[in-house]
Amino acid sequence: MRRRAAPLAAAALVALAALVVIGLARPAVAPSRAEQEAQVAASLRCPDCAGLSVAESSSGSASAIRAEIGRLIDAGQAPEQVRQHFVARYGDWILLSPPVAVAWWLPVLVVLAAAMALITWLLRGRRRVPVAPTLDGTSESDARLEQVRREAEALDA
Amino acid sequence: MRLLRWAVLPLLVVPLTWVLFTGFGRDPSEIPSPLIGKPMPEFQLTTLDGKPFDSTALRGRPVMINFWASWCGPCVDEHPVLLDAQRRFGDRLTVLGVLYQDTPEAARDFLVKHGDGGWASLLDDGSRLALDFGVTGPPETYFVDADGIVRDKQFGPLTGAALMTRLAKIGISDR
Repeated sequence: MRRRAAPLAAAALVALAALVVIGLARPAVAPSRAEQEAQVAASLRCPDCAGLSVAESSSGSASAIRAEIGRLIDAGQAPEQVRQHFVARYGDWILLSPPVAVAWWLPVLVVLAAAMALITWLLRGRRRVPVAPTLDGTSESDARLEQVRREAEALDA
Repeated sequence: MRLLRWAVLPLLVVPLTWVLFTGFGRDPSEIPSPLIGKPMPEFQLTTLDGKPFDSTALRGRPVMINFWASWCGPCVDEHPVLLDAQRRFGDRLTVLGVLYQDTPEAARDFLVKHGDGGWASLLDDGSRLALDFGVTGPPETYFVDADGIVRDKQFGPLTGAALMTRLAKIGISDR
C-alpha cells in the first residue's frame, strides 16, 4: 500500500504544478475599450470644474476630453499613453493623483533627522566623563574657580 | 558635533526660504503650461466667416492666439485690450481668435456689440484645438513667436500691462 502511495503523490504534485504554471501563463483578461476609456476619464481632472474628474462632469470640456480619449484609444494607444497625451498639454495638473514629488518626503526626512538628533543627544548624556584632574591634583573646575576668585579680587582692589 | 550645530541653521533656513520665496512669487491660480518653449500645435480649421484656415499661414510673424466665448464675462472686459493690441501692433503681430464652446451666431453678436477688430476667429468643433493647447477655460491667450514657438500664456483676461509684458516675450514692444 505504502509503495503505491508515493508515485500517486508525485503524480498529484506534478499535476498541481502544471495547473499553477498554466494559471500564471494565461494572460489576464484585457480590459474592454469602454473600461479603458472609463479608467482614463476617472483619472483626469475636468479643466473647468472644481475637483471633479472628466468621467463625473457633464461640462463641455469634460465631454470633449472623453471624446478625445475615445479617439486615442481607437488609434491603439494604451491608457497610460492617453494620460501622457494630456499631461504633455496640461501638465501634471490634469492628473487627479499627480506623481509623487520629492517635496512630499520632506516631513519624513525631518522626523528622521529629529529622531537621530534625539538619539545622539541621549547617548552623549550617558557617556559624559567626569572632569579630568589637573597635574597638581586639583580638578580643572577648582583651577577655574581659583582664577575667577583672583580676577574678582583684582577688580575689588 | 560643533560643526553639525553650525550646519543645522543653513540646512533649515535655506530650503525654507527657498520654498517660501518660490511659493509667494507665483500666482497659485496660474497653472504652468508645458507648452512654453515648444512648437505650437498645427491645425486646419474654418473661420467664423467660413474660410479655411491653416496654421502654416502664421509662420514668420509673432502671433497672439486668444481662446474666447460670447458667454464668457471676463472676455467682455478683455476685448478692448485685444482691439488696442490689433490697432497698435497689427502691422507686425497676428491676432487670432479661437471660439471656445460657442455658436457662430452668438460669437457674431458679440463682435457686433463689442467691436470687431477684423482678425480671424476660428471655429473649434469638439474643442480639439483647445485640448491641444491645454486650455482650461476662456479667456486664455497664447503668445507664439515668429518661429512658431510658444513663449508665454495668459490665464484669464489680459490687461494692458500684462499684454505688454507678454508681447515683449515674442519680440513686440513700443517703438
